[in-house]
Amino acid sequence: MLALIQRPGARATMVNVWATWCAPCRAEFPAMLRAAKARRGRGLRLVLVSTDFPEQLAAVRKFLRDQGVRDTAYIETGEPMAFINALEPSWSGAIPATLVYDGHGRQVAFWEGAADSTRFSAAADRALSPNSSVKEASP
Amino acid sequence: MRNHIRAAGLAALLVLGVGVAAAQPPPGSDVPSALALGASIPMAKTAMIGVDGKSLSIAAAAGKKGTLVIFMCHHCPWVKAWQDRIATIGNAAAGQGVGAIAINSNDPGAFPEDDVAGMKEQATQLGLKFPYVVDATSDVARAFGATRTPEAFLFDATGKLVYHGTVDDNAHDASAVSKPWLQDAVAAVAGAKAVPTAETKAFGCGIKFRAKSGT
Repeated sequence: MLALIQRPGARATMVNVWATWCAPCRAEFPAMLRAAKARRGRGLRLVLVSTDFPEQLAAVRKFLRDQGVRDTAYIETGEPMAFINALEPSWSGAIPATLVYDGHGRQVAFWEGAADSTRFSAAADRALSPNSSVKEASP
Repeated sequence: MRNHIRAAGLAALLVLGVGVAAAQPPPGSDVPSALALGASIPMAKTAMIGVDGKSLSIAAAAGKKGTLVIFMCHHCPWVKAWQDRIATIGNAAAGQGVGAIAINSNDPGAFPEDDVAGMKEQATQLGLKFPYVVDATSDVARAFGATRTPEAFLFDATGKLVYHGTVDDNAHDASAVSKPWLQDAVAAVAGAKAVPTAETKAFGCGIKFRAKSGT
């Protein structure tokens, strides 16, 4: 999973952890996709990680298809606590959760809960910026 | 073109050797700080209305050997996955001298299933023998630093937090649980012993907080 963040080919990576039944996750999806799509040409990679249970795979596929996601997406299958702590030790495990990394794999933003397009865009722009070591400031 | 789903398992995570130590929220994060181990029960005397219509505080639900406070709700799939185990642990706790209380801090405006009627239905279905109350301002959750459901806080006989986290290591399959963290913690508290694993995590539904008073 984290190997994706540092995989060559992107100048920044946005990771979103979500689930099909999570209303705030569904609500923020269009804004997140718009922000990611608008910056794809500048090198932003979007990594979508579903925490749905395995029997919900069909629902995950349908949701992504309905949202117009054509890229590879992921479903978390390991031990949740290790996954959570490896991505961000301060993350409680609540979803949605979003983490944004610059091209060096340094985290420049992390938040729990739903966000709007302004927040997604600002975090992505910061990650894409040459001065990406500046972390997100609280609103 | 159809989308592709791949498993994002732990093996790949460890490749980069990312640290797993507990840490404070990163600068700029809006994640509230959860109650630290050793902390006292916050808002213990705050009255909350239970599904039985009676007013109750955490202090009133406390046991002589300890107190289990678990934030849960009705709509959340993770609560649904764990709720039978939560009921079993909470119902058994009283017999061990450990009081239990479940708290719903969600705004039912966001999740209608989490209204009192939904809670009553859930409590009946589960056969809860311990109080299930409404945190009508979400301030109790804020005071605990609770962010998700289910999320458990266990206090010892002196009222100090000795366990914070999830139920066990397998929400999806109760028969495959290898680490019954909460059950072990309750047993330890009941026996006045050290809790084997004091902090755990799992995925959960983010608590939908009501707006703060005066905002």
